[in-house]
Amino acid sequence: MGDLYEVLSPWAETDPVPLRGISERLQDLSGKVIGLHADNKPAAVPILKVVEKRLRELYPTATFTWSYARLINEVEDNAEAQAAYLEWAKGVDAVVGAVGD
Amino acid sequence: MYDAIRVEELDKPAVVIVNAGFVATAKTAASGRGMPGVRIIASPVIPNCIDEAEVDAGITPLIKDIVAGLTKPLSAEEKAPSQKEEHPRIVFRGTLKEVNRFFYKRGWTDGLPVLPPTEEEVAEMLSGTDLPPDHVVGQLIPRLGKVTVERIAINAVMAGALPTHMPVLIAAAEILMDRRVYFGQFGVSTGSFAPMWLINGPIRNDLRINCKTGILSPGDIANSGIGRAISLIIKNIGGIRKGVEDMGVMGNPGKIGMVVGENEEESPWDPLHVDHGLAREDSAITVHFMDNSQLITPYHVDDNGILRVLIDNINPGRQLVYTIIFNAETARILSKRGWSKQDVREFISEYARVPAYQHRVWERVFTEASPNPWGLRRQQMPISPMETMRIIPNPDWIRVFVAGGPLSSMGLYGGDHFDVQKWVTKKIQLPANWNKLVAKYRNIVPNYALY
Repeated sequence: MGDLYEVLSPWAETDPVPLRGISERLQDLSGKVIGLHADNKPAAVPILKVVEKRLRELYPTATFTWSYARLINEVEDNAEAQAAYLEWAKGVDAVVGAVGD
Repeated sequence: MYDAIRVEELDKPAVVIVNAGFVATAKTAASGRGMPGVRIIASPVIPNCIDEAEVDAGITPLIKDIVAGLTKPLSAEEKAPSQKEEHPRIVFRGTLKEVNRFFYKRGWTDGLPVLPPTEEEVAEMLSGTDLPPDHVVGQLIPRLGKVTVERIAINAVMAGALPTHMPVLIAAAEILMDRRVYFGQFGVSTGSFAPMWLINGPIRNDLRINCKTGILSPGDIANSGIGRAISLIIKNIGGIRKGVEDMGVMGNPGKIGMVVGENEEESPWDPLHVDHGLAREDSAITVHFMDNSQLITPYHVDDNGILRVLIDNINPGRQLVYTIIFNAETARILSKRGWSKQDVREFISEYARVPAYQHRVWERVFTEASPNPWGLRRQQMPISPMETMRIIPNPDWIRVFVAGGPLSSMGLYGGDHFDVQKWVTKKIQLPANWNKLVAKYRNIVPNYALY
């Protein structure tokens, strides 16, 4: 048995982040405005084009609107981009984002 | 992920399509922002894939999940998530081996043994700064962990650093929290970037930071201890763990720590921190997130042979910022022939060229959401694919540093992305009793016996 060491934690404290639930879901996508938000990954737009195409087939009365992040984390890092994004998001009923890697 | 949280905060439902290999990353990102229930759709599509058939085959089967993500009623946990575990200040008591096993199993080490951060050892480490232990330097992304001086000291003890390294570690943490360096991108990127820390000023000599032979090899307590401590700070304060938040595809051995001092005494040029606006007598630290390195030998030892080999090794397939490290002899040869650092940067930017068809822009995939990082419009592109194009169109994307051992090899270190990263240098603040501290720790040096 060697010496005993009482050690301090290297793992940082964080400000207590109040845990929040996600928002209530829609009952149906019919007639709704679906936002498609593409980040700057090359697959984002092709992925969301497929999403739009397939959702249009399932919900012909749904409408679609697009938003683009031109740089990684642009919505977080750029106040102007964030304001534009939030303004866009206010006008939709739900959002599908890609690619969240 | 954060974009989806912004939508949820507007009381609107969102789902995020995430490559299946990145689901854990996405979950910690959501949890870290207090919304662990964000609905994630795991996709097989590689984020850089633009093959329409491949994308369609990967996404079409997920449509029902996407619809459910927007319409399926919430579970109790999604409505009101459970609180997270709290960590006590004293986390464990045990033998050296037991402490190491405990830390390793918690994911708090780099895989190698650490020194136990006891109260006594941490108190000694804290003697390296005038700041109080509870002073919060800031919050480090992505976890937004509080960078307290004590937490820096704890990780420094674990790394085997010395109290005199504390001022460097505090300045390094400040750099990581400076938004201009985009640590949130380079610290976790699939591109496997590792921070290369460039040290300038008198502190190099106070700490015996290696500036000469083997600058990137282990063996010096300052270079190794500081580098490893920063690596542990990134992991345990920033919360960047390999394969969870750090999704570097291949990884990078430099992530265990790369600290290099400039050989200012033998350099014919002003040191890097003077280029960046500080006084020569200041001590300073600069970061460059690099993902590749080349050791290059001149075609022949004159300015022509030195600079030609450099421009021939600038990679046309990348969009990189470069740190070029000349050893003092090579730098002196260039300087004697009239080359300033700015001349070197401008020469490389001007003459590192390839035919347009070999240039990354030529084949660059332009999607609506993926702008051309060179800022070139199609109308500015050569008409003939045989016309040459500059690989590095801006000399400011090159930095020149002087370090390394004798003879004439040079280091060419590429990394970052020039469309976002900026060069950031911070002055290192020293405690009032610095000279006394230096006297206490400076003579901890290896003595290599002859054999």
